Amino acid sequence: MPQLGNLALAIALILAVYSIVANIYGARRNLPDFVVSARHALWAMCAMVTIAVVVLWSALLRSDFSLEYVAAYSSTTLPTVYKITSLWGGQQGSLLFWTWLLSIFTSIAAFQNRRRNPDIAPYALAVLAGVAIFFLLMLNFVTRPFELLATVPAEGSDLNPLLQNYWMAIHPPSLYTGYVSATVPFAFGAAALITGKLDDGWIRSTRRWAIFSWFFLTLGNMFGARWAYEVLGWGGYWAWDPVENAAFMPWLVMTAYLHSVMIQERKDMLKVWNLALIGLAFGLTLFGTFITRSGVISSVHSFTQSGLGPYFLSFLIVVTLAYTSLLIFRSKELRSPAEFESYLSREAAFLFNNLMLVGIAFAVFWGTIFPVLSEAVRGVKITVGPPFFNRVNGPLALGLVFLMGIGPLIAWRRTTASNLVRSFAAPVAIGVATGIVAAAAGLRQWYVLTAFSLAAFVLGTVIVEFRRGMNARRHMVSEPRAKALVNLVAKNNRRYGGYIIHIGTIVAFVGIVGSSFFRTEVKKSVHAGESFTIGSYTLRFQGLDESDTPHLESATALVEVLRPDGREITTMSPAKLFYKRPQQPATKVAIRSTPFSDLYVVLAGIDDSGQTATFEVFLTPLVFWLWAGGLMMVLGTVVVMWPNVRERAAIATALSRSSTDARELADATPGGN
Amino acid sequence: MRIRPRFFIGVSLIAAAIGYLIYSSIRTTSEYYLTVPEVAARQAELGGQAIRVAGRVKPGNIAWDPNSLTLKFEIAPIPDIDANGAPVKPVSALAADPASFRVIAAGEPKPDMFAPGRDVIVEGKLTADGTIAATQVMTSCPSKYRPKQAQ
Repeated sequence: MPQLGNLALAIALILAVYSIVANIYGARRNLPDFVVSARHALWAMCAMVTIAVVVLWSALLRSDFSLEYVAAYSSTTLPTVYKITSLWGGQQGSLLFWTWLLSIFTSIAAFQNRRRNPDIAPYALAVLAGVAIFFLLMLNFVTRPFELLATVPAEGSDLNPLLQNYWMAIHPPSLYTGYVSATVPFAFGAAALITGKLDDGWIRSTRRWAIFSWFFLTLGNMFGARWAYEVLGWGGYWAWDPVENAAFMPWLVMTAYLHSVMIQERKDMLKVWNLALIGLAFGLTLFGTFITRSGVISSVHSFTQSGLGPYFLSFLIVVTLAYTSLLIFRSKELRSPAEFESYLSREAAFLFNNLMLVGIAFAVFWGTIFPVLSEAVRGVKITVGPPFFNRVNGPLALGLVFLMGIGPLIAWRRTTASNLVRSFAAPVAIGVATGIVAAAAGLRQWYVLTAFSLAAFVLGTVIVEFRRGMNARRHMVSEPRAKALVNLVAKNNRRYGGYIIHIGTIVAFVGIVGSSFFRTEVKKSVHAGESFTIGSYTLRFQGLDESDTPHLESATALVEVLRPDGREITTMSPAKLFYKRPQQPATKVAIRSTPFSDLYVVLAGIDDSGQTATFEVFLTPLVFWLWAGGLMMVLGTVVVMWPNVRERAAIATALSRSSTDARELADATPGGN
Repeated sequence: MRIRPRFFIGVSLIAAAIGYLIYSSIRTTSEYYLTVPEVAARQAELGGQAIRVAGRVKPGNIAWDPNSLTLKFEIAPIPDIDANGAPVKPVSALAADPASFRVIAAGEPKPDMFAPGRDVIVEGKLTADGTIAATQVMTSCPSKYRPKQAQ
């Protein structure tokens, strides 16, 4: 069986190489047969990689410890679900998983473009095949998933207990999907540069891919944060660790890209910028893998050092140089005739929003690589921790939120003063009122007051937008309010879905600000029966409940939570676990979440007698809203991605007439503003 | 894409502001990230400076008082060649005598993975008597760990 996996990966590599050659040859010589065969080669490549994945999965499920990978990341007692997730539990497996996703996305892109984009699609598919070749080279020659062991162990050494929870099943796949799907728009951008077809065709053809990628990057980051919050037991959800930053940077750049392409579509501006952004987004996905795999940057959860670093770095450098050269080579053709006319225009607001997002990404990048830079320049490693990231990104986030309120309401090209007053009077009033109420309620930090006021301002602008749209509808077709609202969103899903994402972002932002500024913490060692307080809660330690199974040993503390009036609210049971193989302790956090605040109880230690327990308790206001906002962002993105029925129907009718018409229609942007 | 001069001013101002924000924040928040031998070599200049030290928990001399949440231990250099892949490359030039430092971490619960022989990162300050007053002790917990072959 393992030989089958090796064979499949080798054939996949050959097919990928063939696909590049045939795509480029076919496109240059105008030989459609070659382009078709190149497409078939990509589908065959996908089938081969799928076979390799199936072989590895079956080996994991059968606990075939003759495979080094299975012996290292699984065991007979590992629950089935974690045997499946072990596919991405280790390096070789996660690269195979990555390659699998890439080959699937490449195949889908090949299918979508079997008639569309005959000029650029062959080159885009060649670029995708090129990326696949890099990963297949790694899998075939550098980090082989089907390496056999000389002596077959009786038992595997199990998946790291920290990875044995359901987040392992959803967080890495989401993040990888987000990472890998960014390759498709990148490939089409590169193809536009190669062929000189520099209109916005490549953007329109890959818009759904870009949103799809952003959707999964959002999910991946949110899941990662939630995982850290629920499992790691330090009361927070984000530590600006290099691994987290590696997932955050592509998200920022993709966010910038999704906004700036709107300017190109509307105004034919920022062509170079958009191409640069998508190149950057793709480069950052490679960079993320590089820093987590190379050990160059130490992270608290550092990955196994491996020989992969230099390969990823080389590939990253080659891609960057090639792409930058192409951009320079085409720079004359990329000049746009249009110009920015006024600061008070939507395109200006979008431009500055892009600057902020890329600025944050740059700051995160700089902070992440600073230890390496300082060591190279000054000979001593200097690190910057969370204080750096918070200091830089705090003000930038405020700027971004402000622009989020301005952008959607301001007119394209230029805005008149009366227009400004009409659009912004109500939202500004809402923002100011919120600030005053917050100050009256006793908040004093300038940052919090500004943040809450701006958040209210943005929510105000979104409400104004929804009202405007609803009134316009009710003016044209008389509908009851609720129905008008539903139809408004359904018929203009891109626009109003976008606003829902904005609301979600603001809600999450409020959660982040609240949880960062108002978190309180109490650490206490108590005997059974004793109690202590945090905020308005009283916590009484009832005693320990110990248990011992073949898999793990655990000590659970029973903690009664009481209100000030002495009424019991609930009993929480944080625990300390001790896994037996590999021998490793772990913490089980108890969380009681309400919209006002989360009570987060960690059993930090127990003494040998079992009578004294040490607790670390956090009271974190508003953190609930971070997750709620994340959920709204996800819902909003679903609305954006929802296939517009009218749009579909129109394309289908046109298809039956002529393919050119259909392409034009498919490219048109119904629902766009 | 052409940007009118006054736009160029706006864009440059924002870029400059971001640049300054990064620059000033690096200055105020940076801390030395050192290995134990490097701390030994630079002991004189590190007084009162925020440092992060990567080292290994020395067996013996470990004291944990759960009532005051005080953890005392000694941190030793991580050996140059580490089969498990130590997260920090020691600077070979500074690989002087294997010195070790006493660490006192007060007010923090003992990390789960803390044990003799584990690699840790200690955040804190070097006091005059050569003790590291730690505000945080982090154990390196590999999210993708490599199990030892002999198991």
